[in-house]
Amino acid sequence: MKSLIRSSIAVLVACALLFYASYTLNATSNAGGAGVITVYNWGEYIDPDLITQFEEETGIHVIYETFDSNEAMLTKIQQGGSAYDVAVPSEYMVEKMAEEGLLLPLDPSKIPNLAHIDPYFLNLPFDPGNRYSIPYFWGTLGIVYNPNLVPEGLTFDSWQDLWDPALKQKVFLYDGAREVVGMGLNSIGESLNVKDEALLRRATDHLKTLVPNIKGVIGDEITPLMVNNEAAVALTFSGQAADMMAENEDLEYSVPREGSNLWFDNFVIPKTSKNIEGAHAFINFMLDAEVGAQNADYVGYSTPNAAAMELMDEEVVTDERFYPTGEQRKNLEVYQNLGPEWMGKYSEYFMEFKMAL
Amino acid sequence: MTSKLSLGGKAYLALMFLILYAPIFYLMLYSFNSGDSMSGFESFTLSHYADVFADTRLIVILLDTVLVALLSGFIATVIGTLGAIGIVSVRNRWWRHTLLSLNNVLIVSPDVVIGASFLILFTLIGAKLGFASVLLSHAAFSVPIVVLMVLPKLLEMKTSLIDAALDLGASRRDVLTRVVLPMIQPGIYAGFFMAITYSLDDFAVTFFVTGNGFSTLSVEIYSMARTGITLTVNAISTLVFLATLIVVAGYYWVTNRARAAEAEVRA
Repeated sequence: MKSLIRSSIAVLVACALLFYASYTLNATSNAGGAGVITVYNWGEYIDPDLITQFEEETGIHVIYETFDSNEAMLTKIQQGGSAYDVAVPSEYMVEKMAEEGLLLPLDPSKIPNLAHIDPYFLNLPFDPGNRYSIPYFWGTLGIVYNPNLVPEGLTFDSWQDLWDPALKQKVFLYDGAREVVGMGLNSIGESLNVKDEALLRRATDHLKTLVPNIKGVIGDEITPLMVNNEAAVALTFSGQAADMMAENEDLEYSVPREGSNLWFDNFVIPKTSKNIEGAHAFINFMLDAEVGAQNADYVGYSTPNAAAMELMDEEVVTDERFYPTGEQRKNLEVYQNLGPEWMGKYSEYFMEFKMAL
Repeated sequence: MTSKLSLGGKAYLALMFLILYAPIFYLMLYSFNSGDSMSGFESFTLSHYADVFADTRLIVILLDTVLVALLSGFIATVIGTLGAIGIVSVRNRWWRHTLLSLNNVLIVSPDVVIGASFLILFTLIGAKLGFASVLLSHAAFSVPIVVLMVLPKLLEMKTSLIDAALDLGASRRDVLTRVVLPMIQPGIYAGFFMAITYSLDDFAVTFFVTGNGFSTLSVEIYSMARTGITLTVNAISTLVFLATLIVVAGYYWVTNRARAAEAEVRA
């Protein structure tokens, strides 16, 4: 019995010490008394030094939490148990959250740095007039390839290059209905937002002729495969391609000229916010030219912040693979919210294609 | 015992341990890699560990994870031990089996179901998600495990011991503190350490009930791995593995001491 009591005391003392240590550490990173904001972002999607800098400048303590998918984030915000002040959903999720009344309208007068954003990225169809959202990073869907593993001459500036007979069993696709069917539509010269059964049928039939070339339909696992020269060609997002290229200099990325997807991750203020002032201050801080440049350098995705781009390495911002010029952007489209009925149809056609594999 | 194993048996055993441990050691090796990925070992460095310790948020999460494990393990051990004693003292066989089955159902039911039900419960009563919700759910899913670890010790205890103690004038309280608890002590420690390991590696339940900036290591690593495993993850995992080794060593130390003390009393 004595031993049990002694052990219990030891455990409780250890708990008290741990609690004290974690509490004081939390307090030291708390710069002042101007309140607290909770930021909910994708994992590894911000330069942590900037959070410290924001805390020092404003005295607002930042609680930083991460999520791994738009759907996981939506669930947490709908559930309402946590007071998130700033979140970073993708464009289709902004539309959905706004429809469900989960977002607070932004107050542009509190975000003067909004002027730094390239007007091309404002007033987009998923959030007309930027009532609820401001773009954080953006990118495209395209083809990452390893020139050493594909026949010479293939540059993938057209989707048709994927159908090259020399690529038998060499192409990896991203596992997403919207992405793959959209690519099929683009490859037959159509918009990736069509609501037309006949066109979807044609696109799917065209995709089925790609089957002999397809090695796999996978998700994030593609990164190590490309980096280690184990895969030759993959359909992937520009951000992921940038990560791969940072580790394997041989890789190339191309956005086919027929058109492709343009995606955005955006700052929003969810309904759960308890510190709306602080949330605006944080968004405004992140849109600062220097901060934006430092963050884009760290994260490696394309920034919509024109003022930040001026401060960044010339070589990076003129890289047309990740900062396509106006001409190239012309054929890029944002995924529109098609509604559940048409989303279901896209999924069905995607399933039909996968069954043919 | 090992001396009785045939050569083939030893080889088989060695192969099994190799397969089980190789991935862990592979991961630990790369936590010392100066390169940025697991695609090739460049040279030895401790910089990933420096990254871990420089990141206050990560350290806070690490401390919180251990705190939740210890405290939930403690709460679960108290409740579970009392529960086991309660189950054994039920005379009706049918009742006892029912109680035990209800206990076991909780162990085998999927974590996702338990996590989702906790989330619904906390939402329903309007509780804020965070430290308290994680602690309570960890304690809750550890209780059945403690019960299962303590029960065999109680069953192997002779009821005549209790009768003898009562005959010799011990109060019921004395019976509990001086006869029953010392006898089942190894089971209690085993339950406590099992509860700690369950809490440390739980992902599914925790994922549902974290919020408001509170997070545990498994949930955090999952979010980090989404954008590709960085070697920081290897470094934390190595630290956690070492911590687990310490827990296991602690378990053996405590049980050996308990056994030695027991032997002394008997001698």
